[in-house]
Amino acid sequence: MSATTRILAVALGLLGLGAPVVAHHAFSSEYDENKVVTFKGTVTKIEWTNPHARFFIDVVNPDKTTTNWSFELASPNSLTREGWDRHTLTVGDAITVSGFAAKSGKSMASTRSVTTTDGKALFGGTQGIQ
Amino acid sequence: MKRTLLIAVSACVAIAGLAASASLAFAQQAAEGGRGRGNRPRVALDGPVPRYPDGTVDLGGAWTGGGPVQDMEAQGKFKPGEIPLLPWAKKLMESRTPEDDPHAYCMPMGVPRQAGNYPWRFVQYPTHTKASHIFVLWEGNIHSFRQIFMDAKHPADPDPTWFGHSIGSWDRDTLVIDTVGFNDKFWFDRRGHPHTEQLHTIERWTRKDLGHLDNQVTIDDPGAYSRPFTTTYTATLQPGEEIMEYICNENNNYGVAGGFR
Repeated sequence: MSATTRILAVALGLLGLGAPVVAHHAFSSEYDENKVVTFKGTVTKIEWTNPHARFFIDVVNPDKTTTNWSFELASPNSLTREGWDRHTLTVGDAITVSGFAAKSGKSMASTRSVTTTDGKALFGGTQGIQ
Repeated sequence: MKRTLLIAVSACVAIAGLAASASLAFAQQAAEGGRGRGNRPRVALDGPVPRYPDGTVDLGGAWTGGGPVQDMEAQGKFKPGEIPLLPWAKKLMESRTPEDDPHAYCMPMGVPRQAGNYPWRFVQYPTHTKASHIFVLWEGNIHSFRQIFMDAKHPADPDPTWFGHSIGSWDRDTLVIDTVGFNDKFWFDRRGHPHTEQLHTIERWTRKDLGHLDNQVTIDDPGAYSRPFTTTYTATLQPGEEIMEYICNENNNYGVAGGFR
């Protein structure tokens, strides 16, 4: 799928023209909608798994230490309908990502938006932004 | 056992045949069949109801909707408090929180909620003559199926199950599904509307046109509600769409090793 088609598919998904985005668990029980975190980092791993796909990024902290953050996405079938595939993000990609932080305080978040190296904004498809 | 196997194999053949058929209304197929993402063909959803050669309504197609998800009351267009919960059931519902939802543990959503969320299909079998079975294939949640025995009878004392025991019949062009034998484990919605093993549902599925399928459902559970109540949810055809695999418990954050209670 071309980048243009991918973006179009994402746009269609946002407009609700495709099948609905479905969330498996209760967003509010795990994530804080009032605590948005934004990082620049490097993708270290992608898990294309059910009920939620996720990716991990290394984020360099102000003190030069590195934290590996886990960002949750929708399920692979929902993501596919929105134009994502398992190659949309690849290990080593430098991205900017925004998400809703986990209430547990762990380095986890529900993805809100992803901007790729070439400046394309992708949609995370999680419950928090439905 | 042989008969069960024969039916299962035949059903698989029927499903494959149905998917391959180019003559049915939902055969405006995706370019990437089975990936759940197609070329989204332009289809007039108000087109005519498709039928099999014998005149039976063809319920085929990938549908979404047809049941509640978040709130049976609001989505069913009930006024607040109109659903006649018995006091103990109301108390139970108020004690429930979304993280306790069996759905979060990758458990089935039951009737009628199961239709509400992920794409699904009706599969009538056989199609060359009067159907003996109608299957519902669910993408989620969970990735499963339901079977409706046509013109059959309920067993006298069915074991309680997540989808119960369903018998079907046609009332003109409406498929009527009568189900008993449910367990009490699933929730009707994320709010936690409860039920008991006395639950009896009657679904009346009417394909109004090509793209809209009404589910008028009556919920009769004297164990949890003071009287039966009825509402209608509408499923919408998703042209070019296919159901996909969704194995929810693959990597679920909510453990199921100890079983769901």
